[in-house]
Amino acid sequence: MSVDVASTQRSEVPVAEIATTTAPGSFSALWAGLRRDRMAMVGVFIYAAAFVLAIIGPSLAPYDPQQVIKDSAGNWLTSQEPSPQFLLGTTNMGRDIFSQLLYGARPAVVVGFLAAFIVVAIGTIIGLVSGYFGGWVDSVLMRLADVAFGIPFLPFVVVLVAFLKPSIWNVVLGMSLLFWCNTARVIRSQVLVVKERDFVEAARVAGASPWRILFVYVAPNVLPLSFLYGSLAMGWAILTEASVSFLGFGDPKVISWGFMLQDAYNAQAMTRGAWAWIIPPGLCIMAMVMAGFFIGRGTEEMLFPRLREQ
Amino acid sequence: MLKSHKKLTRREFLATAAIVGSSIALASCGATPTATPAPTATKAAAPAPTATKAAAPAPTATKAAAAAPTTAPAAAGDAKARVIRKLILVGQDQGSDAKEFEMGKFTADAVKQLGIDVELQAMPWEQLSDLVWYQRDKWDFTMWQMVGRAERSDPDELLYNLFHSSTVKDGYNFIGYIKPEYDKLAEAQRAETDPAKRVELVKQCQAMLNEDQPYVNYCHQMMDYVYNNTVWEPSTILDQAGIGAKNFWTFISAKPKGDQKDMVLVSGPVVTAINPLYISGGTDSWVTELIWDRLMRIGTDGLAKPWAAEKVQWADPKTVDITLRQGMKWHDGKPVTIDDVIFSFQAPMGDEAPMYKPFVSRIDSITKTGDNTCRFVLKTAYVPFETASLAKINLIPKHIWEPVLKDLSTKPENAEKYQEKVPIGSGPFKFVAWKQSEEVTLEANTEHFNAPKMRRWVLRFVANPEAVLGMMHSGELNFISFYAGDPALLLSEVQKDPKLSVVSTIELGSRFLAMNERRPPFDDVWFRKALSMCIDKQAIVQGIYKGRAVVSNSIISPSMKAWYNDKLPPIPVDVKAARQLLKDHGYDWDSSGKLMYPAGKTETLAK
Amino acid sequence: MKHWRTIQLIAARVGERLLVLVIIATILFFMFRLMPGNPLVAYISPTFTAEQQEALMKAFGLDKPLSVQYFIYMANLARGNLGDSFFYKKPVAQLMGELLPNTLMLTVIPLLLAYAFGIVAGTVLAWRRGSKLEGAGIIYTLISRSAPEFWVGMILLTLFAFKLKWFPASGASSPGVIYSSFLHQVTSADFWRHLILPALTMAFYLQGLPLLLMRSNMLDVLEEDFVTMARMKGVSEWTVVLRHAARNALLPVVTAMALGIGYTIGGDVVVETIFSWPGLGRMLVRAVANRDYPLAQGAFFVLAALMVFMNLVADVMYYVLDPRVGRTKEATT
Repeated sequence: MSVDVASTQRSEVPVAEIATTTAPGSFSALWAGLRRDRMAMVGVFIYAAAFVLAIIGPSLAPYDPQQVIKDSAGNWLTSQEPSPQFLLGTTNMGRDIFSQLLYGARPAVVVGFLAAFIVVAIGTIIGLVSGYFGGWVDSVLMRLADVAFGIPFLPFVVVLVAFLKPSIWNVVLGMSLLFWCNTARVIRSQVLVVKERDFVEAARVAGASPWRILFVYVAPNVLPLSFLYGSLAMGWAILTEASVSFLGFGDPKVISWGFMLQDAYNAQAMTRGAWAWIIPPGLCIMAMVMAGFFIGRGTEEMLFPRLREQ
Repeated sequence: MLKSHKKLTRREFLATAAIVGSSIALASCGATPTATPAPTATKAAAPAPTATKAAAPAPTATKAAAAAPTTAPAAAGDAKARVIRKLILVGQDQGSDAKEFEMGKFTADAVKQLGIDVELQAMPWEQLSDLVWYQRDKWDFTMWQMVGRAERSDPDELLYNLFHSSTVKDGYNFIGYIKPEYDKLAEAQRAETDPAKRVELVKQCQAMLNEDQPYVNYCHQMMDYVYNNTVWEPSTILDQAGIGAKNFWTFISAKPKGDQKDMVLVSGPVVTAINPLYISGGTDSWVTELIWDRLMRIGTDGLAKPWAAEKVQWADPKTVDITLRQGMKWHDGKPVTIDDVIFSFQAPMGDEAPMYKPFVSRIDSITKTGDNTCRFVLKTAYVPFETASLAKINLIPKHIWEPVLKDLSTKPENAEKYQEKVPIGSGPFKFVAWKQSEEVTLEANTEHFNAPKMRRWVLRFVANPEAVLGMMHSGELNFISFYAGDPALLLSEVQKDPKLSVVSTIELGSRFLAMNERRPPFDDVWFRKALSMCIDKQAIVQGIYKGRAVVSNSIISPSMKAWYNDKLPPIPVDVKAARQLLKDHGYDWDSSGKLMYPAGKTETLAK
Repeated sequence: MKHWRTIQLIAARVGERLLVLVIIATILFFMFRLMPGNPLVAYISPTFTAEQQEALMKAFGLDKPLSVQYFIYMANLARGNLGDSFFYKKPVAQLMGELLPNTLMLTVIPLLLAYAFGIVAGTVLAWRRGSKLEGAGIIYTLISRSAPEFWVGMILLTLFAFKLKWFPASGASSPGVIYSSFLHQVTSADFWRHLILPALTMAFYLQGLPLLLMRSNMLDVLEEDFVTMARMKGVSEWTVVLRHAARNALLPVVTAMALGIGYTIGGDVVVETIFSWPGLGRMLVRAVANRDYPLAQGAFFVLAALMVFMNLVADVMYYVLDPRVGRTKEATT
């Protein structure tokens, strides 16, 4: 079965319809689909765990992540090896790495969720409007998407954050301004297909206003796709935040995993052989991003959202 | 296969709302995504403020009753107005200077022990200097440092520029320290021609500053320069007081042992300009020092000695005669003449070289007195002239720069914008190549009167401190001239590798806490002294510098042996005594332990 | 005429892309001028007098109204004048020119490596559907797409440059080596030795997308009629895969290259820092940290222009390879 030619727009991922075997195009279908796919469930589990950690992590942490830990003589306990007291050892300034790791979940989840939500919201709305109304609205919006596509995103976020203020909200802002274009393109393609469907035609004939049709009839059929891109966006957001922190433009008041890696890099953790400092934050970031991919319906569906009837 | 239409069911709507709502909720509780714990974190080793609250006796109990006005504890509103506001400590952020950042955090926590709320605002270096320099009434106190440069071997630059009242408005005295007695001392030392008397005056300056604590001096860092002892003859790597092994003398005398005749050294910050009339950053000066000569140079002992000048003779405190060394040539082959020397000092007097203008501003006239002699006449007696001027101004070829400057005088740009394709100087090294952001290569000028022993000097820019260590082990580098990483790690790496040797020096510069006297409570010397007593400098040296620093109590570094006042009474680290000191001078604490001004004074700067 | 139509489409696309570039330049202008903070702070030494500061503001045109500044800016841009760096005192365009070749190599080579590897590996995985190799391959791909590039870079650097000492740890050339020209640089073994680690770091991240795309497309195409026909005809498995399936699956992969370009340029910034690669990404980061506004602006613009250009190349390749879609695109927009 060939890919829908109409949706093979330049530089976007070809898209077909989402076929389901249970209740049509809705969240329950999505959930059923997820449940069937083992990898997707792993992804959901990871997200849930991160969510929980974001809320209770700080209370679980044995130490304050910023606190310099001293021994009874007042000496700073720097660069300690992992031990029962410090599960992952301490940084070169005497801070507990494990506590930092736990605290890092919160900014990761906040940044991930927020950025994903905003990206998906903007992308979906623009995709809906652009695809449904067509004409000059479509042209303008797609031109906007072209611009967003044309801006290298990491340099942009870096510049924005450095000039505004190195705060976590500005990182989210920077990402939101650029990441929506991918979602918008894909949603638009899907809308182009959906809007030709009979039920939409029927609603139009019945005299429903375009906005009503768009949000009540068309939107629900593309929302699962939005959701999938949302989970991808979450991964990209976390990676970008980590990169921005690594370059030194991150929020200095926030201990994120990216910040931990920057700290490790600046403290020459590799030369010290402080693998317990370097590996865990990287793995956490990886886990979050991979969860996004898993939830994107496994590897194949991530790129071609179409269930394989196996 | 086709979907039928489906509106959002109520369940799905609620589910979506739940997800969205919880993410927003998470976001707002994530608004403080890190814990900024109250000072009373139970695991901290520092004494909890609650303990000291008991130590603060009721206002009526002690002898302070004599000074206390009769309105003492009654007016609760009055007490509230006296509470000192939250003080903002500014400093560099982690990306700009990790150690300064950590010192800032440490300081903020220490000052809280006096019962004041302190917040550290870390920011990039450029932003910090903007704030401190151009908005002099907007900051409370800042972490700061003075970088050690060879020219600062004479204490005048530090003692005068930093603390004399004339530089309060837009000069280096950004803290606003105004004390007529100090002004007199500072002026006296820079005019005193008797060396022994001058030393005495310099030490008195330091003593006065120690009493007044306009800065809380923290420490002087140890500079550890590492070199490959299988490439370089160790005895030819020279240490310069306060500057370290990375100095001009090492570069010209380092002798290669074997086949490797190039010195490959490293810098994190890149060279942005190779221009004798412009310095944009420290690294630029490494190169300009080598390509261009000066009449005098600061020797390894910290004193100026004749270099391109054969003789430097003072006829009187305002007049000095220079005899130029014979036989020097520019890198393009033309001879160096006394006209070039005169031109070199006149060029910055205009508007084309603003960086160097102050260093020739004291010159009243320069006259050619012979084929290779000239006479400088100063406006007033200025003892540091040799260090500040003769050892600083680069000798530039008149035949190249005269037409360039003439052309520039008609344009809005100045000489700083001009970049020679092949910079021409008369120094011990010649320019070979400059790979943007990657490296600068110089080669030895074999015709120089003090030609270097190495073949080439190759400066590499490496952004990654770990790479520097790796490159040293692999032999890609053979001199670590810049290292932004952990000093203890550097030393342990040196110990592990027998081909690496280290030369350690106490830096000329220093790190300190600068308090803005335009803003109370920093205008009160007793407050400053009490604050100073809360800072455990030894802990900073151990914890942040890993022992690679010495505690300082003066802006002058102990490496300046001639000038350093080693008899200054050290500041004891004693929070209790600090609080007592405050109490003795009328300060008090309110019922929640917050520090208040002495009676009669209220907080005027709270937002 | 088929070719005429294609040329028209390409021309239209070029026009569109240029417009995008203009819009980006405008956004850049406003971003940099409206940022908080005094832009001259990083530049003016405290030894400057008030008059000198005034003169400098005039020289930089910072005393004129914003609209006038904008027109001067755009006019300059059209002429290739990107202003002068605050710190380097040199024309930004000159600095860009000196560093662009390095970044270009670090952008193009990883892309080529990633796509070459991805396409081949994707084909292999599709061929070996359901095997253990496929399972492992999928896991590997996921890891490569979710591990932060700088993290991978740090690990690779430590492993290959410090521990094993196979490759140098920084720069684009050995100390003291001077290239006489770009051609000389590109053909020198020393340069390639320095390029390998950073290029591999980036390629590692990039190859995931083409790999998965290729695999997916192959799986589709392999089920198509003509492939079944070829099999029935008795053509060897290998020939089927290569000749028939791969060629048809390649098109979407090539066209999806555009997706990878954004990641490449973003990755440049981080990889150049870790490996001290003398390129535009690193210069941008430093310029931003130093508040060297003209330089940061210029570096950003050049990177964006590079991206637009590469997107254009992908566009052209797409139209050239499959003019059919161009026609259909017209019908659906």
